[in-house]
Amino acid sequence: MTMLRRVLVVILVTATGAVVGAAASLSLASGSLGAATAATPRCTSAGLSVLQNLTASTVSSVTVGVLPAACGGATLQVTVNTGVTNSSGSAVVPGGGGSVTVTIAVPPAVTASEQTDLVLVGP
Amino acid sequence: MTRHWLRVVAVAGGILLGFGVLTGSAASLSLTSQNFTPYRTCTITATPAATTAVTDTTARQGNPTTNFGALTSLTVSSGNAVNQRIYLRFDLTVCSPAIPASAIVRLATLRLYMTAAPAACRVLDLFPVTAAWVETTLTWNIEPFGTTLNNPPTGSRTGTFSVGTPAGCQNQAAGAYVVGGTVTTDVASFVAGTVTNFGWMIRDDAEGSATTRTATFAAKELGTVAQEPQLVITYVKVP
Repeated sequence: MTMLRRVLVVILVTATGAVVGAAASLSLASGSLGAATAATPRCTSAGLSVLQNLTASTVSSVTVGVLPAACGGATLQVTVNTGVTNSSGSAVVPGGGGSVTVTIAVPPAVTASEQTDLVLVGP
Repeated sequence: MTRHWLRVVAVAGGILLGFGVLTGSAASLSLTSQNFTPYRTCTITATPAATTAVTDTTARQGNPTTNFGALTSLTVSSGNAVNQRIYLRFDLTVCSPAIPASAIVRLATLRLYMTAAPAACRVLDLFPVTAAWVETTLTWNIEPFGTTLNNPPTGSRTGTFSVGTPAGCQNQAAGAYVVGGTVTTDVASFVAGTVTNFGWMIRDDAEGSATTRTATFAAKELGTVAQEPQLVITYVKVP
């Protein structure tokens, strides 16, 4: 009986270990996507127009256009990075798509080059 | 003894259930990531006025040996011996982080702020320049495309937009950035390294007009941030 109990415990530990291994691998894969290092278009793969709106030489908002209707309802997250500072904002894409203007929380000063990251979450 | 085994099985089941919940969490993370559409944009703006990230000048047929790189305006003109062409280059290496050569350029837009529009609707053509030029020395006589009018031919243009006050023209109003300056294919080639980035030359589609027609744009030397030439590149990175 003692031997049978040991065998059962070994089987249980092995089974649970396999399950944990699978979960860890899923978690790592999704982490890579979440870091926005991979192109995984969801609602569009078309070119989006990106225009900075200036207020006194700072980027006060960003207008993103050519959004297809498929992106309606998605949350558009915008981060402007000047290399010195970065600031973000977000807005919901209108139901029919089109364009959306995202207000930047802390407007950075315009420099010779800015990087703007756009992430559409959903719909 | 039977009760004891029931207890063992119950504990083991609890452990399995616990890991099952963890597994469920990981799966839902993976599904959530499918909803992201990440884009990255590099906006190059000709600021400050002395920046070397952007170079711009005008070649004037009427002053064939004079350099106009220091002027605060850029002009395209069609007329009798007074044609004018814009030379404009954006240094893509100022984008930080750098645009990878493997990136897919989704849209690239050249933006010029028009300060004066011609009285007739004129089509302006963009041609990628095929040789190096210098902002402070370029003149009509030594421009990369030579002095022949309407050269290169319209058929080799890679972008175009129209300007002029008549209704129906693409860009009628002065005091605004022009629309239509799409240069996606050119920028994609620059990024991929298949074509060297010498910038663009912009000329009237029909040089040598009997009546002089001129479109004027803000140059980087104007020093007004809200009117500076811009190149906006939207791309996605390939993993």
